[in-house]
Amino acid sequence: MRPILSIKGLSVEYLSPRGRVKAVRNVNLEVYKGEILFLVGESGAGKSTLGLTLLKLLPEGIAKVVGGEVIYHRDDGGNLNILKLRKGRLRRFRWKEVAMVFQGAMNSLNPIMKIKDQMYDVIKDHGVRLSKREAYKKIEELLAMVRLDAKRVLKSYPHQLSGGMKQRVMIAMSLLLDPKLLILDEPTTALDVLTQKNIMNVLKDIRDKLHLTMIFITHDLSLAAELADRIAIMYAGSIVEVGSVEQIFYRPKHPYTHGLLKSVPKLTSEIGKLESIPGFPPDMINLPPGCKFHPRCVFRRDICMEKEPFLQKVEENHYTACWRWRDIFGEE
Amino acid sequence: MTKEKYLVKWRGTASKTIGLLKTIYASKHGTVGFLILLIYLFMAFFGSSIRPLDTTPKPGQMYLPPSIKYPLGTDNQGRDTLSFIVNGTFDVLYISLVASMVSVILAVLVGSVSGFKGGTVDSILMYISDIILNIPQFPLMAVLSGLMRLTDVSLAMLMGVLSWPSLAKAIRSQVLSLKERDFIEAARLLDLGTRHIVFTELMPNLMPYIAVSFALAMTYSIYNYVGLVFLGFVPFRAYNWGVMINHAWVLGAIYNRDSILWILSPIIAIVGLEVGVIMFSRGLELAFNPRLRK
Amino acid sequence: MSETLIRLYRNFFFRKILRVAVTVFIVSTLTFFIVRLMPGNPIDIYISSLMSTQGMSYQEARQMALAMFSIDLDAPLHLQYIQYLSNLIRGDLGVSITSTGTPVAKMIAEFLPWTLFSVSLSLFASFGIGVALGMVMAYRRGGIFDTILTGICTIMSAIPNYIVGILVIVFIGIQWNLYPLETMRGTYTSTITPGFTIEFIVDVFKHVLWPFITYVVCTFGGWALSMRANTISTLGEDYITVAKAKGLKESRITFSYVGRNAILPLFTSLTISFGFIFGGSLLIENIFVYKGIGWLLWSAINERDYPTMQGVFLIMTTAVVLSVTIADVLYGLIDPRVRRGE
Repeated sequence: MRPILSIKGLSVEYLSPRGRVKAVRNVNLEVYKGEILFLVGESGAGKSTLGLTLLKLLPEGIAKVVGGEVIYHRDDGGNLNILKLRKGRLRRFRWKEVAMVFQGAMNSLNPIMKIKDQMYDVIKDHGVRLSKREAYKKIEELLAMVRLDAKRVLKSYPHQLSGGMKQRVMIAMSLLLDPKLLILDEPTTALDVLTQKNIMNVLKDIRDKLHLTMIFITHDLSLAAELADRIAIMYAGSIVEVGSVEQIFYRPKHPYTHGLLKSVPKLTSEIGKLESIPGFPPDMINLPPGCKFHPRCVFRRDICMEKEPFLQKVEENHYTACWRWRDIFGEE
Repeated sequence: MTKEKYLVKWRGTASKTIGLLKTIYASKHGTVGFLILLIYLFMAFFGSSIRPLDTTPKPGQMYLPPSIKYPLGTDNQGRDTLSFIVNGTFDVLYISLVASMVSVILAVLVGSVSGFKGGTVDSILMYISDIILNIPQFPLMAVLSGLMRLTDVSLAMLMGVLSWPSLAKAIRSQVLSLKERDFIEAARLLDLGTRHIVFTELMPNLMPYIAVSFALAMTYSIYNYVGLVFLGFVPFRAYNWGVMINHAWVLGAIYNRDSILWILSPIIAIVGLEVGVIMFSRGLELAFNPRLRK
Repeated sequence: MSETLIRLYRNFFFRKILRVAVTVFIVSTLTFFIVRLMPGNPIDIYISSLMSTQGMSYQEARQMALAMFSIDLDAPLHLQYIQYLSNLIRGDLGVSITSTGTPVAKMIAEFLPWTLFSVSLSLFASFGIGVALGMVMAYRRGGIFDTILTGICTIMSAIPNYIVGILVIVFIGIQWNLYPLETMRGTYTSTITPGFTIEFIVDVFKHVLWPFITYVVCTFGGWALSMRANTISTLGEDYITVAKAKGLKESRITFSYVGRNAILPLFTSLTISFGFIFGGSLLIENIFVYKGIGWLLWSAINERDYPTMQGVFLIMTTAVVLSVTIADVLYGLIDPRVRRGE
């Protein structure tokens, strides 16, 4: 399979009054064309920072890429180092090649412009050769795909729409330039359950119709079961396990993944069997030595406190960053 | 209250005040503003005994340049300019303080009642404040001082009565947002009464806002007061910055090139006070609103 | 019927117009009762001064005062009040005492346009300058440009406008003699016939120049500081990050996304500022002898010309209230969130 995006040794830090926040630490990840990759982790694990880095959207002066690169593989075989893109080239790359849908709770829309104009701005500024009528036809089609009444929505201002509607508008807008890769950063967070379900259905439609590559960032592992091809688990800024849905759900090889799975409610599980992972997420400024998960891990040994594990191959496409996975989970 | 309790309370207040002063000191603006205000306060209270008003005309020494005897030179009648500046401080400070006090008290009353009671009371009070806001205030004061004899105190009251609405509106919206918070809700459930809630729960939270508004109200009253005196609408007292400017103006002294120091002295005194108050209020803002700090 | 009334009251524009009417009504009522009922009220003072200076009898003086104030002093108070109001509605503001026989309304019609002209010109200029500076300061926050300008703006907004006016006269006009302020009194040179000629327009701008500069110098700082603060907080909004992610042009983000959102809250202050500058014209027009309505009010107060005072003050209030209303309505057009009603 051909990758569309290769993240190599990426590290990002934030400057805070208390010290450097090591939000992303040495992340290596390939995203393959046409797949839906889920990036799962607790809040503060660095998922959203990673997402923003892929579009070079980190707040200047506060966040800094301290190492690594992000290579985007174009359809025509060319490679782009996203982090080296500047001004005009960066601007044209954004949304045209990689688009992004932000958290459901964010005010992603300009409050004083009609949806119509905010949609059309994108087309205009990317110099798409479409007549005004063709452009609106395309906009209406996309709005229909996300199950919105285009006529009504286009004339509205953001405050006249519900949270779920706004998020669907953002999804439609993200598809406007036929991007090759779509990043969804907690798109359903802060929406009510019914609306979440709606958004997930819309995303399934999009998967079936457009065969788009997607990176879906979430803290909710159960969403992955509905949509994911592959899952990467993030903890304390780095990826601790990556594998297919089947591998992660049925044959997890990292204690953290294992813990996450036990804390996900299943329809079949009995009430009272849910367990949460003991302890708290680490302080991202003063990380523990060795494996970052060891303070919360019941299987820890001396080596876990001394050396940080790297991703080791478990089987085809399945990697885990745990020294003791063989002892704990056994080989397949 | 027993003596110990009183002491504890006093110590608490004192340490809070010291903390506040420390934060103001930490901001450059605040420190400068604070020092400027100290100088003016010193002039207002001790000025007249250190440099008594020089009232004897000395025709031979008009518009003298600065010297050790007359640091700011002399005026059109050969009198010591510095003594006029120093002795005029009290009036301006007194009037602007009274005016801002009246304004802030009214604003707090109206704003908190309006926010708390809501409904018709709120609508009526806000309607009234809207109307007062729409009346051009300086002309109104000028017209009133033309229609009736205004004393210093009545003028200060008038300024206060006319300038509360914008602060009242701000306080009302603060009250509305504070009202939703838990601790107010708790106080209300405990049935502690509106007055208790207003004074012991709300006020401490509103203090930052009130302090800054007080400073702004002061600059505004200084503007109005000196402006009215300058136009000659308010009763004269010879030692007043506004009067000094007015005299220079109507007597044509401004056309005399030598008179520059006499004209500039009150102007600098006014500008210095205004700048001092504004800088101090910015320091207060920083002290009360940690989010503004870097 | 009552439902129609409620719907009418809910109407944004209707409510605004109602507020204008109520404010003007209240102010005119207040002035009536202050003039009429205060101990030692202007009418009594005027009558006694007529008696003493012109040697008139009480009856004659009363007749004279009656004509001046357009009030029938013999009628009961409530009838006088109604008469006064109906005169107002017909635009009859009485007759000036000092410029004997000239209707106050006519004088206002002559002086008001100049104040409206100079004040709104200055307001728009200082608003424009302040907004532009504030945005640049916000984009370069923390830099030298920002630090210096923040200081300048803080000090400028602290200095009373009449102080600046006096300094202009003293330094520009007299000490350094840079501009013939002496000859620039009034609103235009009386030897030039008003009309749409270049000569007249240039002359008008020469006369308004320094009052204009004075107003602008004292107000742009406030605009710049608030625009700076608004821009900084808007730059932190999510939709700005999203706009960048969308690959929109820098210029579009700056103007349509950051600028428009940051400027909105300023429109509310625009109305307060208009009232403030308009009221301040009393001082500035006096300093520059710019013969607008502020100057007219100043001379009326000085000469105890009560009908003129009363009329000018009423018109000033009306002008401020109207401008506030117009700005409110415009604000409603720009910010879609307001129109829903409060």
